[in-house]
Amino acid sequence: MKPEALDLQARVDALRPGNASKHLDFFGKLLVDNREMTIWEHDTGLLPVGARIWRRRARDFARRYIRPDAVRADSLPREYDPRPIVSQAARKGFQTLLLALPLGTAFPGSYFLKSASFQVAVVAEEFAAESGGIALLLMAHHLGCAPLILSGHVPTILRHLLPLYARTLRGRPEIMAFAITEPGAGSDVEETEGGAEARLVTTARQVDGGFVINGRKCFISDGAIADKVTLFAKLQGEGLESWTCFLIEKGMEGYSIGRQEHKLGQRASDASELILDDVRVPQRNVVGRLRSGWANNRNVLNYSRPVVGAMALGHARGAFERALEFCRSTVRGGKRLIDYQDVQIELADMIVKLWSARALIWHSCSQFRCYQSASAAAKVAASDISFEVCTKAMEIMGDYGYLENRGAESLWRDSRLTQIYEGTNQINRLAVIEHQWAEISGRCGN
Amino acid sequence: MDLSLYAREGEQEFVELTRSFVRKSVQPMFGGDAPDGNLDMMPSILDTAFEVGLAASPCTGMPGFEYGIWGTSADNPKGVRLSAMLLSAVAEACAGIAMNLHVQGLASRVITSSEGGLPEPPARVAVALQEGHALPDYRALLGHGGEPDEGIGTRVLPTETGWVITGSKSFVYGMEGTDAFLVFCRIAGNRGGENIGCLLVPAGATGLEVRDVGGRTGIRACGLSNLVLNDVIVASEHRLSSREAFSLMGRAMCLHWLGISAMAAGNASGALKAAREYAATRYQGGAMIGEHPAVRKLLALSEARVEAALALLLQTAGFACGNTDFLRRCAIAKLMTTDWAFSAVTDALQVFGGYGYMEDYGMEKRLRDAIVLKTAAGSRNYLETFISDAGREDIR
Repeated sequence: MKPEALDLQARVDALRPGNASKHLDFFGKLLVDNREMTIWEHDTGLLPVGARIWRRRARDFARRYIRPDAVRADSLPREYDPRPIVSQAARKGFQTLLLALPLGTAFPGSYFLKSASFQVAVVAEEFAAESGGIALLLMAHHLGCAPLILSGHVPTILRHLLPLYARTLRGRPEIMAFAITEPGAGSDVEETEGGAEARLVTTARQVDGGFVINGRKCFISDGAIADKVTLFAKLQGEGLESWTCFLIEKGMEGYSIGRQEHKLGQRASDASELILDDVRVPQRNVVGRLRSGWANNRNVLNYSRPVVGAMALGHARGAFERALEFCRSTVRGGKRLIDYQDVQIELADMIVKLWSARALIWHSCSQFRCYQSASAAAKVAASDISFEVCTKAMEIMGDYGYLENRGAESLWRDSRLTQIYEGTNQINRLAVIEHQWAEISGRCGN
Repeated sequence: MDLSLYAREGEQEFVELTRSFVRKSVQPMFGGDAPDGNLDMMPSILDTAFEVGLAASPCTGMPGFEYGIWGTSADNPKGVRLSAMLLSAVAEACAGIAMNLHVQGLASRVITSSEGGLPEPPARVAVALQEGHALPDYRALLGHGGEPDEGIGTRVLPTETGWVITGSKSFVYGMEGTDAFLVFCRIAGNRGGENIGCLLVPAGATGLEVRDVGGRTGIRACGLSNLVLNDVIVASEHRLSSREAFSLMGRAMCLHWLGISAMAAGNASGALKAAREYAATRYQGGAMIGEHPAVRKLLALSEARVEAALALLLQTAGFACGNTDFLRRCAIAKLMTTDWAFSAVTDALQVFGGYGYMEDYGMEKRLRDAIVLKTAAGSRNYLETFISDAGREDIR
């Protein structure tokens, strides 16, 4: 190397922030953070202790147990047995996060200072970075449990949730699912105005000692493997206002699984049709009060949407990590891709988007009660960002991006669903407006 | 949006012929459980495409020799425009089938536009332009700097009776039953303008391994392979005209990018039509979903992007010639049309809600095809650098 080139390099090195800050005063140095840390470590450091522990545990679990299964679960979903990973996750405490210690496994500090969803969201990102399908397989269980808690109905919690959690903690996990969508009513049941005109068919008829339910639900995540389902039905002769949540158990007479969908992604978790043909449900399986289903459902979405956002973020981070690895290992024109400034700008753009999505997700579930506008905003932003980042990851990899063995394309397929389920992003945008209507319409002041 | 509205006098007949082929031969492959259609029908579909003259052939006397997609009529802007339209029309139904016709036409066009052609051209042929992550060096393609053989590691050595080729090619799209591959390679020892050669390698040549790339996201109706050439010997007459291999490569890149643009626009147009039909029949929230403002917004944006993609595609085709300005325009067309088309498809899919994500409605296939067209044959970064450098040359 020529001496003048060395001089230039030495000058560049001296100008790097790490070296330049040596010239600051003592207190100035204290105010500069030049530590070489990953973004993941930086962000983890922001979390309360409990959530921090779960984030580390979740990443370790995802790498150790989810990563080896990811390709098989995606390519051969019908042959993939989900029970072992569910059991493993349960043993590690990931399936009982909706209640704080000692009833569940969430740390009380993060649970009460943030929200019941916060630690679940932190875990969801880590799982989803390895496999969208397995992440959904594990996370849909929390969605199924949520109506039991959010009903606020103590007998329901004592009768159903605590025993389920106790069995899970003892190594006998049960899988829960959540069923609201019907063949003729998808987005309708996730939005107020649509709900008023929804064409629902699943109906509960009151009989001695309970109810008889008839109807169908569709696209139910984990529907085929669930041991129990929190399922919503209108009461006979009434509309959506009468929606009531029922706990349906596998083996109930008249309850069966219909068609299982073939999906673009998130394949490890089935999306199934549930058929209810004169299913007799005892009174004790009514979740909360009669006609409280609509309110319960809407609040479940408030708590679940940040988690869906976190899953979307996980897909995007996973795709980003694969693109990054590709850029490190691929040489073009004598240089690694990572050394090209235009590639660096693309990568930086992806980092910015990932960071902004994480900030909004963590914000949306950072108070004890999750609320509609922030949850919907987090879901919309994170899922849109996710699909954008996944697409960009594939673009950076060029033709290699669409090869299945490179991993980015499956996360791209997974990410697309997050713009659709838990209310399409169009419905979620309307949810933001609905919740902030007083402000938007000028009814409330500053 | 209707492609026929863009057809000029003389083009309408070809568009209708293509639509008829799509109705009778392509559409029957869909409707079953397979997400990419019944691929067992591919051989008969391609045979029909050759019979009706939609698939180009490098052999004189074959129906598609002149007016097939990228047939010899594509030696002028009118012919290029027509081929692009026909590709779009096929891609409205299936971009994978369109890719088969495109790569067959691309290879045929390379052969027929070379001086002297080949004595006995093969019926089904594919062209290998890419190696690993690398496309041919963009600076050289633009004619300002760089080495023409940059990005080409495949080497060819002359022998007394022919040539010996060693190296590899990647991401070679081709019909099932491809008879031969056109391989661009570096001629050992030669420098300057003649250091690139284009040789025809028979599919059964000793030392040639054709390896399927394995699972991939989309465009599955068309084969995709990597070629490994281990001292493959080809006869001397299998080299295309020695002086123009580099310009043939540039022309091939032009048509490849333009073809991908055409397929992307067609695929998006098909997605939009399907979304419009669905929106007119699906009830939600007290009305047909097509009446909901959110859905109308999706459809409007999708339509605007399809129109923009088609307009840019056809405008670019109108500039067809052999110079670097056309190459630059084709790079711009590839960059933008695939981007617009991809957005149009994802918006159209969103109209279907949860059903759009399921294989039954065919929208997920369109999305998979759209992302492959967006990422294949020149990453976004490559194209941006290429366009930027070409623009800089204009200023000089």
